[in-house]
Amino acid sequence: MTPFKVKDCALLVRMSGLPPAINLRELRERLAACSENALFHHFCEPLLRPAFDHPDYRNDFAVWAKWYLADRVLAERLGILDPFSMGSLEELRAVTLDIIDERLSEVVAIPSAAQGDEFYFLEATTIVFDTEDRIASARELAPAIRKMTNGSVYYHFLEARRRTPVGRDDFSAWLKAEEKKNAKYIRALESIDFYFHTLSNLKEEIIAALEKVERKR
Amino acid sequence: MTVPLAAYEKIVGPTAITQLRRLGKKLGKIRVVHVNSTKEGGGVAEILEWMIPLMCELGLDTTWEVLQGTEEFFEVTKNIHNGLQGRPVDLSHKGWQIFQEINEKNMDKLRPTLKDADIVVVHDPQPAFLLPLCDKRKGKWIWRGHIDISRPFRPVWKVLRTMLEKYDASIFSMCEFAQALPHIQFLVPPSIDPLSPKNRDLEPSELETVRTRFGIDPDRPLLVQVSRFDRFKDPVGVIQAYRMVRKVVPVQLVLAGGSATDDPEGNAVLEDVLEAAGEDPDIHVLNLPPTAHLTINALQRLADIILQKSTREGFGLTVTEGMWKGKPVIGGDTGGIRLQVVNHHTGFLVNTPEGAAHRIRYLLHHRERIREIGAEAREFVRENFLLSRHLREYLTLFLAIRRGGDVRSFEV
Repeated sequence: MTPFKVKDCALLVRMSGLPPAINLRELRERLAACSENALFHHFCEPLLRPAFDHPDYRNDFAVWAKWYLADRVLAERLGILDPFSMGSLEELRAVTLDIIDERLSEVVAIPSAAQGDEFYFLEATTIVFDTEDRIASARELAPAIRKMTNGSVYYHFLEARRRTPVGRDDFSAWLKAEEKKNAKYIRALESIDFYFHTLSNLKEEIIAALEKVERKR
Repeated sequence: MTVPLAAYEKIVGPTAITQLRRLGKKLGKIRVVHVNSTKEGGGVAEILEWMIPLMCELGLDTTWEVLQGTEEFFEVTKNIHNGLQGRPVDLSHKGWQIFQEINEKNMDKLRPTLKDADIVVVHDPQPAFLLPLCDKRKGKWIWRGHIDISRPFRPVWKVLRTMLEKYDASIFSMCEFAQALPHIQFLVPPSIDPLSPKNRDLEPSELETVRTRFGIDPDRPLLVQVSRFDRFKDPVGVIQAYRMVRKVVPVQLVLAGGSATDDPEGNAVLEDVLEAAGEDPDIHVLNLPPTAHLTINALQRLADIILQKSTREGFGLTVTEGMWKGKPVIGGDTGGIRLQVVNHHTGFLVNTPEGAAHRIRYLLHHRERIREIGAEAREFVRENFLLSRHLREYLTLFLAIRRGGDVRSFEV
């Protein structure tokens, strides 16, 4: 097996070029028109942003619906969306628009935010750094992950799902090179319900899952 | 004083420093020029003071040019500044003419430097007209807006926009400040240098010297607001809040302001502040020179609570400085202060003198919260608002813009 190259990443955020949305109808219009990168940014990249609390919801649309549109019903429906379970970002867009359309058909008045609380559509460039750390075998994986930054965990476990092979994290994709030998590790990684964790929690979950396999060896 | 990059490793960790070195190597010896309008005083000059040497150490051929203006010019640019922050201002055709003429005069001198640069970063509106004057430019030009232009006074914005449209990219501290422009707009919050005289650790004896110098009573709580004497910083509102607290708690207030060569309004605001302070011996209004970094550092460390009750704020580096010193910050609910002050975690956001007074009293009656919030605030700054993150984003941005700007990802 070729050694696993540990990488780290950081984001450089930019405006998407779309005007901000002040109400739910505008949000729908912009969501239909925004780039896949913007969609990915608001669904998947909030994890890399500075935060203190465990937010109620993992994506920016649900958070905005709750805090600025004061529409808790919509927030809950959007909040449960798991972008990594969708076949593509276009599928994610279609599902999100469907939820908003349904909500627009239910409400009497269009939910609106106050001036100054608009939703801004953003995108990001991901800068990937080779840390020069290498992992030689499945057994070294858990201790290596313990030393990783949150950026590395995000890049290898979440962002990886957008790259080929689509839908798979980098660790299990690497372990697949010796699939039979590493089957238990791969299954352990696949069993993690990862989307609703913070990156620190996720790191602990991955380590715990891998260490459980080690203990059973 | 130039601090080498390696010195920051013990504060931000080796990974952050390695990343910077790798980005520097990738960029190579490109020629970068920063242009602003003051060498000292204010957040922009402070940022450039550390950024230029560190970019040089990373291998970029970086220089800093300061626009030479007249008193008349800075009157005009202060009006432009106020207009961009939303205040209706009367800017005549003659005013814009002065603005243009000073830019032209500077361009005559700066042309060879700017024309051949690979990257030119123009900070704030004062030098913004340089780009339209620079024909046959070789590199990419970026406009960096440090102020809150979320709701600009339209007549001022309309004129400035015609200049900014020509840039290849712009940088804002927050998405709320960005305006519709026909180029890529990056979002990069600023940062502080933890080893600068304004932020480095101080010896107890250094604190005592400053305490004695200004007659601050060590036995009573101290509130400190550090900022230019500028109406948007609401120093009079701070005095009002102090008076509300003073009725029940024997508190002291320091309003430490500096001046900058590009801010002609400072003296008028200082007079208003002195009048509002009256004869109260517990209000210390200090007009400090722009070089009084150690004094500012000591005052922030002597404070129990840091105030930054701005009504408009680009970012508010004094907030970052206060948080880095482990102090809770009570800040105006505006601009970049919102990025830094998180209610109950790093301080409190307020909208009125009453709101500020309420939060001051809460903290003074819950001393343990002052320590807890202060500790959390310091770590929040370490993670997000120190120069390593800021520098990384600038270097990344240079790489991105040289590749066309809106790249999805790249590896270094």
